[in-house]
Amino acid sequence: MSPKDNKPSSPPPPAAPPAKPAPKNPGFVTLNIDGKEVTAKPGTNLITAAKTVGADIPYYCWHHRLSIAANCRMCLVESSTSPKLVPACQTALQEGMSIRTDTERVAEVRRSVMEFLLLNHPVDCAICDQAGECKLEDYYQRLDHKPSRLEGGKILRNKRKVLGPLVVLDQERCVQCTRCVRFMDEVAKEPQLGMFARGSEEYIDVFPGQQLTSNYSGNVVDLCPVGALLNRDFRFRARSWFLSTVASVCTGCSRGCNTYVDFMGQDVYRYRPRENDAINQSWMCDQGRLSYKPLNLARVQAPSLGRADDRREVTAAEALLRATAQLKAMAGTAELAVLVSPSCSNEDLLAGLTFAKDALGVRHLYVGGRPDGAADALLMRADKNPNRKGLAWVSAGLGLSLEPFAALLKAVQAGTVKALYVLGAEVPVDEAEAARTLAQVEFIAVQATNVTPLTETADVVLPTATHVEDEGSFVQEDGVVQRVRRAFPPRGSTRGHWNWAVDIMREFGFPLTYESARDVFRELSPKVPELASFGWDSEAPPLKTQRGLQPLATGADGRPPGYREFGAPRVRGI
Amino acid sequence: MAYYQATKDPTTDIRERTYVPELLHGLAVTIRHFMRNLFFPRDTNTDVLNRTGTSQITTVSYPEEQVTYPPGYRGLHRLVPREDGKPRCVACYLCATICPAQCIHIEAGEYETTDASADSRVIEKYPTSFVIDELRCIVCGLCVEACPKDAIRMDTGRHTPSEYTRSGFVWDIPRLLEGPPVNHPSDPWLKRPGSERPAHAHLEKHARIGEGLVPLKLPRPAHPVRTEVTSGPVPVTKFLRD
Repeated sequence: MSPKDNKPSSPPPPAAPPAKPAPKNPGFVTLNIDGKEVTAKPGTNLITAAKTVGADIPYYCWHHRLSIAANCRMCLVESSTSPKLVPACQTALQEGMSIRTDTERVAEVRRSVMEFLLLNHPVDCAICDQAGECKLEDYYQRLDHKPSRLEGGKILRNKRKVLGPLVVLDQERCVQCTRCVRFMDEVAKEPQLGMFARGSEEYIDVFPGQQLTSNYSGNVVDLCPVGALLNRDFRFRARSWFLSTVASVCTGCSRGCNTYVDFMGQDVYRYRPRENDAINQSWMCDQGRLSYKPLNLARVQAPSLGRADDRREVTAAEALLRATAQLKAMAGTAELAVLVSPSCSNEDLLAGLTFAKDALGVRHLYVGGRPDGAADALLMRADKNPNRKGLAWVSAGLGLSLEPFAALLKAVQAGTVKALYVLGAEVPVDEAEAARTLAQVEFIAVQATNVTPLTETADVVLPTATHVEDEGSFVQEDGVVQRVRRAFPPRGSTRGHWNWAVDIMREFGFPLTYESARDVFRELSPKVPELASFGWDSEAPPLKTQRGLQPLATGADGRPPGYREFGAPRVRGI
Repeated sequence: MAYYQATKDPTTDIRERTYVPELLHGLAVTIRHFMRNLFFPRDTNTDVLNRTGTSQITTVSYPEEQVTYPPGYRGLHRLVPREDGKPRCVACYLCATICPAQCIHIEAGEYETTDASADSRVIEKYPTSFVIDELRCIVCGLCVEACPKDAIRMDTGRHTPSEYTRSGFVWDIPRLLEGPPVNHPSDPWLKRPGSERPAHAHLEKHARIGEGLVPLKLPRPAHPVRTEVTSGPVPVTKFLRD
């Protein structure tokens, strides 16, 4: 045996990792889900990819705008890359992988996970506000449908922990998905919520000594897949299956967050954020969330004439005649001023400003609107008027110049204004003080949605519909035009701003045939280049957006869904 | 008794043409019914309430006399009270949802955390207003079926009493609430003192199964365990459904 032979042989070179299969569709990942081929962009979540071929993978903790926690274990699926089941939310797409979501094994695991999640859940759906929109209910019906096998009592926790001004927590109903914790940490950047204790004693709470005071706390209620986090403002006011939903836009500030308006009869019960990648993602602020209240409260419902003690309710025709007679006398003179609120929709502005220019003959407008307020880095803007950009566009398109509100007060104090036509009664200064100053004007005609000091001092008040009572469009601060949908017919004798303006123009002798906000936009928007290209019909969100039970279907008579002649369902005779 | 043939031609039938036998026949039928009602009850099981005297006549002089209703009879609604005299209802709106006549109107309220009643702190939600328009009600009983809390029943065995106004038929909580208080083992006020997290003692209870703290639900009656000696691997014991 030669030394050469004795030399230890060099180890074989390490086996190269098996070459990745060439992608079937370059630039995309091609995989197989339930026997169907799926082509998706790299980085797509498996749950999203599966949805495209109709495989509805259940999940609680996953949310497409939050980090992945994979702690609810609801989305376990069979994968060719692993002997065990893998959570779909956390599994990266691989070329050529095969996923099964419809096998016996997956079904059994889903059922077991549901059983664990429901182990300590108090099944108090009867008093739970989430009932009807609860994922536990939905998945129990779909995947589990078995009685509990728990012997002995459930773990009792705090059923009514008030976390903050808007949110209350039922720790017993929680499934520990940590969506709310991750939202406060990652999106709101105010980590006020945390998980405490271990195992089955685990619970969500605010950190000691803190409260959930964030301006985005309402979003954790939307995020909560079960009834643990609830909105204190909405709590116990309506069951979710009685509410109808229409897509709209928040008018609380100039951000224009997309919303769903949940309503019953002619009352709005809540706003919920609607997905829009460009504007508000999936969120909205608490201030905007509560801005539905003026739609229900302190509304001007009937036309009225006369100031203070002489105030009397009249018919619309009478109020129109009075306003026409007074305004016609002053039309074309410098003593007639027009105050416009940037809270009105584009259609209101198109009709109202056309009226101001063609009938009243003014060349400049005074701009009212709500005063500036608080702002933050995420969504809320200081300008609380939803359509300031639209006002700028429309007035420029019609050749009208804009003057600040202070100029109007100065002109009134100087006595150069004798008559005032007001489109939207919001003023950017102290309302009572402004009303006292404006009371010096001999004749004031106001179109207003809500009772304000200015409507109290007006000679003619024309009640006006809100943005949920009429179709329309708003221009958000970045110049995005957004449609709102009509939820229910206007309350009382209210009409849209555009409707009153068109009616007075008819009294002035203009032969107008506009019957709807759509007509107004179609006829008048060509004068405004920025609005002319907006697809009023094509950009509109779909009318029916809520799945499930609707109180009343849209009738053949054109009633919107959920509309009842006598308001919310109630017993007659009381 | 001769059975009258309807196919007979009345123009050729002597009995029809003379008329008198058929007249007497009709009178006989009337008198037979009259006599039977006067002396013999048609249904010997008829149990008439509030009947005075020994009369067994079939005709019931309602409303002075009334027949009894079967056990499943759906009468006027009532709200079932709890021990503390409040209705068991938690304002879940299921009855109002199922009601095909839309005759139930509920408004829900929330007990304050500082409410003096301990029960109230457990229940959280209660009806501030619960009214049934008995004129609109079609007595279908679906509200009773839907109620998850055994809070509404139709076991009064009474009809809706007459009223002079429509608004009199709108029954609210004070009129609807009647009957003895009802408790169920699943009622929250039997399980915990308040809605906050209870003291530590109960926490381990569920984990200490077999110490007599918690009554066990056995999957089947206890029976002698069969022991089989085998040479193979030890058999795995399982709960098997019979």
